[in-house]
Amino acid sequence: MSNTVVNHLRTGLTAGLTGCAALLLVTFTPPPGGAAAQSLAQGRELFQLCAQCHGDAGEGDPAPGVAAPAIAGLPAWYLTRQLENFKSGARGRHFDDLEGLRMRPMALSLNHAGDIEAVAAYTAALPVRLPEPSVEGDATAGGQLYPLCASCHGVHGEGSEPQGGPPLHIQGDWYLRAQLVKYKEGVRGVHPQDTWGLMMRPMALVLTSEKSLDDMIAYIMTLPGEPAAAPAK
Amino acid sequence: MEYLPVVSTYAQSIDDAILLIAVLVGFWTVLTFTLFFWLIFRYRARPGQRAGYVTGEERQPKRFITIAHMLVLVCDVFIVIAAIRVWVDVKQTLPTAPETQTVRVIGQQWAWSFVHPGPDGVLDTADDIKSVDELHIEVGRPYIYELVSRDVLHDFSVPAFRLKQDAIPGRIIQGWFEATDTGSFDIQCAEMCGIGHGLMPGRLVIETPEQHAAWMARQGQAAGRALLASGRASG
Repeated sequence: MSNTVVNHLRTGLTAGLTGCAALLLVTFTPPPGGAAAQSLAQGRELFQLCAQCHGDAGEGDPAPGVAAPAIAGLPAWYLTRQLENFKSGARGRHFDDLEGLRMRPMALSLNHAGDIEAVAAYTAALPVRLPEPSVEGDATAGGQLYPLCASCHGVHGEGSEPQGGPPLHIQGDWYLRAQLVKYKEGVRGVHPQDTWGLMMRPMALVLTSEKSLDDMIAYIMTLPGEPAAAPAK
Repeated sequence: MEYLPVVSTYAQSIDDAILLIAVLVGFWTVLTFTLFFWLIFRYRARPGQRAGYVTGEERQPKRFITIAHMLVLVCDVFIVIAAIRVWVDVKQTLPTAPETQTVRVIGQQWAWSFVHPGPDGVLDTADDIKSVDELHIEVGRPYIYELVSRDVLHDFSVPAFRLKQDAIPGRIIQGWFEATDTGSFDIQCAEMCGIGHGLMPGRLVIETPEQHAAWMARQGQAAGRALLASGRASG
């Protein structure tokens, strides 16, 4: 084989390998912004499924047959926990939990690594839309019972991750009431794997009458979610 | 080779009816296309030869259509007889044997729920067993199902039974099945019912009488524990 042919082969091989390396580099290089941007993009894409019921802005929809709560701005740890509960059947697998049964297959569709975390982070970053009250009750009377809730959900309804209580002040009152009824009736918070739900259920059972439920919800709707600003001196 | 398990008393008769249709329709399809392409080739355009115009009014040329038409109609009669026999058996008849039990099948967006009769064998009594996703039945026992929907149209589909039945809101639709083998089989929704339609699979668990009794006992114990926990929580 002449030297010219060998040189041509060597040049061709080098060019080919360089091309392959460049292609691999382009293919596997993460988009600008790195892993965080990729996760956000993944979360935004997955949220399209949530938006079908929870609304484009995660504002929720109380309409019968949908009954999807507001999820915008809920903490990622709480959203993650609920999605995992729905996936495992710890929540939303009760015979009488119509809304939960609607939600469960949606959580089951999040079956790739990082899906739950990505959609939870994206949803948590959405701006909160404070709900309009619709339940009528005596907020003062409800406030008498609220200290029991405050130990987990915070004095101002802001929620507490260590105590496992989600924020209440950003949630629609119709949804809070519906969940309290579910806890009371044993539709939610009875699965052995729903650790936090099992803790919540006895609290809901304290509200023994329809009026006490309405009063409690009315009080929660007055909560600011954060301590009142100190008066200017 | 078995592509899909045959697990109900009527599944084979449905397969046979479909096979009969496939064979008869397949025969005429192959014959028609063979003749069609042969005629195209045999009477292809040739220089200096004009095509004849057939009006279709004379008896002699029409016989090629008429005779074939009659033969197809005879085949149709066979298909209709086979289909009606299967239809009457599967859809128009309910079992009357004393061991027959009733189960309730409930479709909703997006899950299947079931109400089984408890140890007393009667539905709508205190010992009923409610479940989500899983229907438990005994092999060799006829069941009448009451199919309802909580919201929109669904379709209760059990491929291993060759069973498909629409669930219509506001109506209770009855049908029946009798399993011929034990095992776990798919339950699907076969009617587009919304965004989660493809995500509402259920399981049909067919058990021996002993296995079924053991399952009922476990469910009874679980219900007892839940009741106890509820009593503790409220007390």
